[in-house]
Amino acid sequence: MSAGGTPKKSRLREWLADRIGLEALGETIRAGQVPGGASLWHTLGSVAAGLFVLEAVTGVFLATAYTPSATGAWASVAFIQDQLTLGWFVRGLHSFGSSALIVVAGLHLLQVFLFGAYRRPRELNWMVGLVMFGVVAVFALSGYLLPWDQKGYWAKVVEATITGSAPVVGPSAQRMIQGGATFGTLTLTRAYALHAMALPAVLTGLLAFHIYLFRRHGYTPKWSLSTEEAAARAVPTWPDQAFRNAVVGLLAWGVVAVAVIARHGAPLESPADPASSYLARPEWYALPLFQLRMFFEGPLEIVATMVIPGIVTALAFALPFLDRGASNRPGDRRRVLAAATLGLAAVTALGVTALAKDARDPAYAKARADEKLRGEVARQLALKGVHPDGNVFRNDPMFHAREIWDERCAGCHGLAGMGGEKGPDLKDYNSRAWIRGFLANPDGPLYMGPAKIEKGMRAVDATAEEQEALVEFLYAETGAADADTAKAARGKDLLSPKDCDTCHDIDGEGENDGPNLKGRGTAKWVAAVIADAGHPLLFTDRNKMPKFSNKLTPAEIEDMTKFVLGLKGR
Amino acid sequence: MAVESPDERRGFLKLMTAGLGAITAALAVVPGLGFLAGPLTRPGGRSSGSGNPLRVAAERDVKPNRPLRVTAVGPHEDAWLRLDRVTLGSAWLVRTTEDGPIRAFSTVCPHLGCVVDFEESTGKFNCPCHTSAFDLDGRCLSGPSPRGLDELETHVESREVLVRYQRFRVGASKREPIG
Repeated sequence: MSAGGTPKKSRLREWLADRIGLEALGETIRAGQVPGGASLWHTLGSVAAGLFVLEAVTGVFLATAYTPSATGAWASVAFIQDQLTLGWFVRGLHSFGSSALIVVAGLHLLQVFLFGAYRRPRELNWMVGLVMFGVVAVFALSGYLLPWDQKGYWAKVVEATITGSAPVVGPSAQRMIQGGATFGTLTLTRAYALHAMALPAVLTGLLAFHIYLFRRHGYTPKWSLSTEEAAARAVPTWPDQAFRNAVVGLLAWGVVAVAVIARHGAPLESPADPASSYLARPEWYALPLFQLRMFFEGPLEIVATMVIPGIVTALAFALPFLDRGASNRPGDRRRVLAAATLGLAAVTALGVTALAKDARDPAYAKARADEKLRGEVARQLALKGVHPDGNVFRNDPMFHAREIWDERCAGCHGLAGMGGEKGPDLKDYNSRAWIRGFLANPDGPLYMGPAKIEKGMRAVDATAEEQEALVEFLYAETGAADADTAKAARGKDLLSPKDCDTCHDIDGEGENDGPNLKGRGTAKWVAAVIADAGHPLLFTDRNKMPKFSNKLTPAEIEDMTKFVLGLKGR
Repeated sequence: MAVESPDERRGFLKLMTAGLGAITAALAVVPGLGFLAGPLTRPGGRSSGSGNPLRVAAERDVKPNRPLRVTAVGPHEDAWLRLDRVTLGSAWLVRTTEDGPIRAFSTVCPHLGCVVDFEESTGKFNCPCHTSAFDLDGRCLSGPSPRGLDELETHVESREVLVRYQRFRVGASKREPIG
């Protein structure tokens, strides 16, 4: 049958062409013309569309590892960022890509404005473009929340509140955004459904309509060319303009990728904490609005949050009808160009003011540094796996130590007056103040008093100077780096005259009525007390504290030791 | 009986098709919108602490004119989640005299919900977001906040300070509890 017939490939092609209508499609593509010639100016729309594709593809990948819940969101993003293969890269592309999309879409808008491409008969496509820009903004705002880190959480809290301040519908709108009266898991599931399902569908539909209208009306050539000149210089879109689109498109993706590599991915702050004092700042593109609000206080605030942005948006939509210039030439459109330049300058000035103000503010720098540290700690802890309640700080040995404390220690020992009253209060344990207080009144309510030890230690009878020397001696024994050794030595010499040595040895070997003071308060000593306070070198048979060597693991005793030593200076 | 032309009959058919389409769409859209608007009708939305007073600090740690920031940790219900120990929020404990009464203020700025800080140099509460300032009685001294800091119910029980943590609607001049 195929003898002397067409080659296989082209037969397949024909088969498909018959069924799909490929020829007609190819024809349509080839028929596209760029009046006035191909240009870099004309690449922006397709570059923006390309970035949207980047967002869609990386977004699907991210969704394979993301959990939208108040307890799981941060942990899943930390997992993507720090543990999944290339997770940091894909997330970085998605995050930085969104910024790039806003920039390129903004430039596209600007180019269309400059060229007068919004004018008759393209009014509707200008409006569709504006709606798309708004959709991209909602994309960015909803995506910002999803990691459920400090940055996203607090930005959203402020936005939701601004929404709530709108007249009449405000409070209802706020509840709709939050999914209830307060922030919670439903806020997140709603933002996620919007971000990953509703908006992609809406933007894809709008983009299709945008491209359809664009194909119908074609490129708007540069204003300097007459219709005849433009027609004479026309080139086919494919491949003349398409090639330029590909070059700039790749460049845009490349810039995003390089930024991701240079900064090792997008930032991830510590998990959202409603109790923390976080310095909320919106993402860069919203800073002008943030700054604008500074000028309007109280009931006037709505001017900055709703009225001015509303008027600007309305003007942008009405632009095709406000611009009554005779041609696309800038000379004929002085008024709109001047107004837009003024508007852009104001937006830039507001944004720069906001940045400059924070750059000068030491409190801002400190808050950022604190958060950076907290974020790094949280991410480090997340590597061990996050507990289902979402509290990554549970992995902190000190958090576990605190749980052990609450469960096993707090029954007897107080912490700053809170907790039990059968043993010494350990707040600020090992500090000079704690030791001083102990020596002055060993049976005081915050020291051994609650333990009700018979024939316990007597208060030290000494002059203030002697007392300080003894304090310094004990302070030095704890291993404190800032101890005054000369003073401590004087204190040591006082042990005998003050009768301390009747009960206390200081050689680390002698067993006496009171604890041997060698290395008292060091990690080793505290660990020994926790393990078995009744040891002959410690509190002997007068001890009332239970033995923990058989109740806690050695690692837990080590953590408890760190916890107790960490109480100094708290 | 008048004979209808095919075009007239088609007009009726078009109308019917559109009507059927609208009904079909409504079947999906109406319940969908109701589902989406759930939070508008559901009271409170089962959020925030159980309303019980929570231990936050030792009484002796609250020093005169040196506000102490404490964290309210307690049980929390959030949609399908029920958690035992969650950070609900934080409060400033204030007393103006030694052994005087202790008052508690929510750290949530009534303006837009940021967390207010205490600045020792000026002795005032400051919101870092939009620079509202409050005195130790919680009164708004300057800035965009529509009301003073929200006071929380507090009392001292066996030398411990207990606070009933609550959230209030921000951005309104009237205090209105939520959750």
